Amino acid sequence: MVTRLSPDARKVLACAAQEARRRGDRRLGTDHLLLGLLCDPDSSAAAALGVDLAAARAASDSLDQAALAAVGVNVAHLGNPAPAGFSRRHVSLTSGARAVMTVAVGQTRRAKSPRIGSAELLRALLARELPDPAAELLTALAVDRARVSSSLDGSN
Amino acid sequence: MEATDLTTELNLDDPGVSLRAVGALHRFAERIEASSVRLARDRGWSWEQIGDALGTSRQSAHAKYGKRG
Repeated sequence: MVTRLSPDARKVLACAAQEARRRGDRRLGTDHLLLGLLCDPDSSAAAALGVDLAAARAASDSLDQAALAAVGVNVAHLGNPAPAGFSRRHVSLTSGARAVMTVAVGQTRRAKSPRIGSAELLRALLARELPDPAAELLTALAVDRARVSSSLDGSN
Repeated sequence: MEATDLTTELNLDDPGVSLRAVGALHRFAERIEASSVRLARDRGWSWEQIGDALGTSRQSAHAKYGKRG
C-alpha cells in the first residue's frame, strides 16, 4: 500500500502550507498546492508548468482584487503578506486538496511507484475543474494543461 | 437609506466571484491585522490594548503574534 510521500512531494506540501500561512488562509487548498509545486524552480513540475512562483502569486492576488472589485471593494494594493512564522502554525487541508491527494495516491499505485511524487500531485491538480481554486489559477495563468501533461510524460 | 437586496446591489450573480471576494476580504484583513499589530507593539501598545481593539482576548492576540522573529 502506498502511503508515503517522496522527499520532493514532502517539500511541495511544506511549501504549500507556508503559502497558505503567508496568504493568511486558514486551510491548505489546491491553489496552495499549485504554488507549492512552484517553490523549487528547478523541479520537473515547475519546468512542466512553465510559470514561476512570483507570477503565480501575482495572478492569485489579481484574482482577489478582481473579486473584491466585483463586490464594490477597490483595493489598489493588497499589502504585504504576513511574515513567515507570524501566523498560526498548523493548517489543515481543504476537501479539494484532500481529493487531490487521493487521486495522486491512486496514480502512484497504478504506476506501481513506491512513493507519491510531485509529478503525481501535479497530474491530480491538472484534472481539477472550475470552480476549484487551482483550476481558476491555472486558467488565470493561461497554462495549457495538455501541454503540461505531455511534458510530464516526456520527463518520466 | 432604503433597504436593498445586496445580491442585486453588488451584482453578485456569480457565486464563484463573490465567494472568492469573501476569501480575499479575509486574507486582506489578516494582512492589515498583522502589520497593525506589529506597528502597535512598536508604539508601545500592551497586548491587552491590542486584544481590546481587535475584539479578542489579550491571550489570543499574544498567542497569534507574540512569538515573532
